[in-house]
Amino acid sequence: MSESSVLDEVVRLIAEVVGEDVLLGMEITPETTFSDDLGLESIEFVALADRLRERYGAQVDLVAFLGDMDIDEIMAMTVGQLVDHIQSQPAAHG
Amino acid sequence: MRFLFVVPPLTGHINPTVGVGEELRRRGHDVAWVGHPATLEALLPEQATVFPALDDRLEADIRRARLRWLELKGFAVLKFLWEEFLIPLAHAMIPGVQDAVKEYQPDVLIADQQALAGPVVARELGIPWVTSASTPAELIRPLRTIPKVEQWVLGQLRSLSDVDPRFSEILVLVFSSPALVGGCFPPNHVFTGPVLEHRPERGDFPWDWLAEGTRKVLVSLGTLNGPAGRRFFGEVAHAVTDMPDVQVVMVAPPLDAPPNVLVVDRVPQLALMKHMDAVVSHGGHNTVCETLGHGLPLVVAPIRDDQPIIAEQVVSAGAGVRLKYQRVRAPEIRTALRNVLQDPVYAVNARRIQESFRLGGGARTAADHLEAVVA
Repeated sequence: MSESSVLDEVVRLIAEVVGEDVLLGMEITPETTFSDDLGLESIEFVALADRLRERYGAQVDLVAFLGDMDIDEIMAMTVGQLVDHIQSQPAAHG
Repeated sequence: MRFLFVVPPLTGHINPTVGVGEELRRRGHDVAWVGHPATLEALLPEQATVFPALDDRLEADIRRARLRWLELKGFAVLKFLWEEFLIPLAHAMIPGVQDAVKEYQPDVLIADQQALAGPVVARELGIPWVTSASTPAELIRPLRTIPKVEQWVLGQLRSLSDVDPRFSEILVLVFSSPALVGGCFPPNHVFTGPVLEHRPERGDFPWDWLAEGTRKVLVSLGTLNGPAGRRFFGEVAHAVTDMPDVQVVMVAPPLDAPPNVLVVDRVPQLALMKHMDAVVSHGGHNTVCETLGHGLPLVVAPIRDDQPIIAEQVVSAGAGVRLKYQRVRAPEIRTALRNVLQDPVYAVNARRIQESFRLGGGARTAADHLEAVVA
């Protein structure tokens, strides 16, 4: 699966979690940050993790991915980092 | 017995202590509060005893900081809450709380979860302390899925105290019900439901404005909603323009509104609830529990802090619907209002939560447990 289609898919799942309305007039790029740009809060990260697991299977585990990060790393985390993480999972291409 | 409440300069955190304090006073106990005097005096009965722990200059600094806080998003909100608000507030309040405890000599100190100076001083001076959880958000450990962030919060707390000052080992008073919060809790967690009794309400209301035969909705976003509040109020006014069968009481700064919307800067909220059919709220715990305590359904548009958690509890209980505060437009507000006013399931679930609150026992249960701390 190409990087751009994973990005499109992640953007779609983010829109499901935060609501289409939040993303109006905003272009999500690999550089977009979850915390500062998208305003995701802890419970929304959990909701996004559920959707990623449904879409890509158990090997895409956002909660575990975040579990290694401290608060500053989570604040700086970008959509591109998540896309890279998904692409690095061998069975997650689908 | 003597009881001392330690509270932050926040209306929602002081309100539940007012009724509990009055219940204790009626039982013959001595009761006092320590915090920001001007904030406290606006909410407490006139004869209440108040000790200062925060002067007007510091309180104004905090209010300005909280306005800055409204501009932040995501985890920056959490970082700000601890680094720029709760920890500095604790340090600022410690000397005043020490003086109050030495002068008043309380048997029990009751510390709000955001008044961290309380447990610090109680431990230093050997006074039993209990927790007042004015919001149940901390109880569900919202950061448990992000362990390093949860550890970071605990690190902030350890800079103050070697025990977690948010949770007393003796007693944690929770002004909600297990039916609303969900989950299992240790036996020292006592769910009293919201404390709606014994609260002095100030401010008049033009009761004649409320017409017979209309569905009535209160719209309140609490005391801290920032510039986005103006947009939200405008969208609500727009949403109900074509709903002549609905009357809206909006607690907001002056704005253009259709004739079925009354804009006022404050209301006697508990008295008004008795006339309402639904409430639109930002998900502040007090307003949500007052609404459910009257068996009314909600439309919740959480702004930040614990509000998304409270909003989720309302939705899970089936007692309301959730909207996006920042971007919601009139048509979605109209649909949400129609839903909670017309589909009886929301009101049925709200009354189920109301009953769970009633079983909690409110101020009486809280006072029983407080008396037992040193019995």
